[in-house]
Amino acid sequence: MNELLWYLSRATGIASIVLLTTVLVLGVVTSGRRLPTGERATIVMAMHRWLSLGMVTFLIGHITTAIAETYVSIDWVSFLIPFTSAYARVWVGLGTLAVDILAAVMVTSLLRHRIPERAWRSIHWLSYAMWPLALAHGIALGTSAQPILRGITIACGAAGAAALAWRTTTTYADRDRRRVALAGEWS
Amino acid sequence: MTLIDLLDQAGLTGRGGAAFRTAIKVRAAAEHGATLIVNACDGEIGATKDAWVVENQLDGLLGGARLVAGDHPIRVAAHRGSRAAALLAAAGVDVLEVPARYVSSEESALISLANGGLARPMTKRAPFVAGGRDARGRRIPPTVVLNAETVWRIAQIAEHGPDWFRRQGTALEPGPRLVTLTGAVAAPHVIETAAGARLGDLFGAAGGLLDAGLVWVGGLAGVLIPAPEAARLLWSSTDLASYGGSIGSGVVWALDPAECPVAFVDHMLTYAAGESAGQCGPCMFGLPALAADWHDLAGARSGRAVDAADRLAARVALLPDRGACRYPDGIARFAASAARVLAGHLDQHARGTCPPVRTTRSLVNA
Repeated sequence: MNELLWYLSRATGIASIVLLTTVLVLGVVTSGRRLPTGERATIVMAMHRWLSLGMVTFLIGHITTAIAETYVSIDWVSFLIPFTSAYARVWVGLGTLAVDILAAVMVTSLLRHRIPERAWRSIHWLSYAMWPLALAHGIALGTSAQPILRGITIACGAAGAAALAWRTTTTYADRDRRRVALAGEWS
Repeated sequence: MTLIDLLDQAGLTGRGGAAFRTAIKVRAAAEHGATLIVNACDGEIGATKDAWVVENQLDGLLGGARLVAGDHPIRVAAHRGSRAAALLAAAGVDVLEVPARYVSSEESALISLANGGLARPMTKRAPFVAGGRDARGRRIPPTVVLNAETVWRIAQIAEHGPDWFRRQGTALEPGPRLVTLTGAVAAPHVIETAAGARLGDLFGAAGGLLDAGLVWVGGLAGVLIPAPEAARLLWSSTDLASYGGSIGSGVVWALDPAECPVAFVDHMLTYAAGESAGQCGPCMFGLPALAADWHDLAGARSGRAVDAADRLAARVALLPDRGACRYPDGIARFAASAARVLAGHLDQHARGTCPPVRTTRSLVNA
């Protein structure tokens, strides 16, 4: 039983990081409505939203199995409070931090039409911190002895990094024009 | 009778260009305890009438402001480094120094600047006379902006009464008003007249037109009118409506006959595109696109002129009624009027045989 939980925890963990990376890439592609237009934008946006909810399901499975199994000692308190785990305090803590950010991002997204747009946006920006935390957590803990799992996690890192690099380097007429206008004398 | 009743009876409208009923604004300002900003920026191209009021009617201006503001402090907005700003400062008036950008003297841009923001227009979810919030969500206290000439007229109405006011102008646009006559005139200056005056007579008062072929009425948001027609035309929004124009902020500009009008419009549209605050799509993308269309239209043998007229017409139809301020609406109106009036000239211009636009008749007595 314990063994099953251990394997479940690995599997749901790797599924979570793959989905998280997919959601990140879709979000990056959508940010500022740069690439997809028209109906395609709607599809990309819907996938971003629904895959993130799917990811949460796997993540809950990952956390509960990791706590329930007894090979290593992780308490329920480590679900939400970072750096409290007896086992691999730092690396588990990074995962907990990512979960905390995810909770904030999720709650603000569900309440998006009830809170100021700026509040939603600034919280949503934290996703860019969440993803590398989750990635580091995954590489350090779960994939050391399994080349396939490690390969998948590294591939996720490469895909996310490529998306981020594209986002920061591509020209963006809206942003560029605003910057040019703002550079003038306005006060 | 209260001040608001007097203004209502007089039918005073804003002299800054929008021609909104002043009584409504003053009433709202009183209800919300709004702070008054007097706009003496002369933000329209060529306009000098606000400076004229500051220079010649400062007591009336400050008296009118006192009537509106009561005990509250008064600020007068003027372009930084302008003569009006210097005169106001010398008179001990609290001057709001505004960058000399076209959209910076727009009402909500002044309110933003006065509250520590940038002098860029804000979205008016509701009139700022009741207070509101800027784009960042910061609270903006109730503020009312009135044009310098409007404020001076308020003092005049309080002194002479609404009947005196209504004896001048037309029934729809009553009262005396200032006009800035500029461009290719013998003596550019500000004169006091009223709606319904003949444009030819106005130019006569300014020493006559110097062979101008075109008259530009209303500034950057205004329209071009062939000079022979303009000379006979009455200066009222009713009569100017047939050309798509209005009195606006009271600028009448005779185009320099030595300069090609197509190049002049090109210059002005390029300037207009550069003055966008870069906040709304129709403005920050639409205006440069409009300027580029005109440039293509005017560009001889470039090959891009082929569909430029269609692109311009489509763009002009797309721009109005969008964005935080009415800036693109005005520029689209100007571009449409230029395309209409200069249609013949554009054809020849594109072929490289730009005709001189000169009239030999004396337009003063046309």
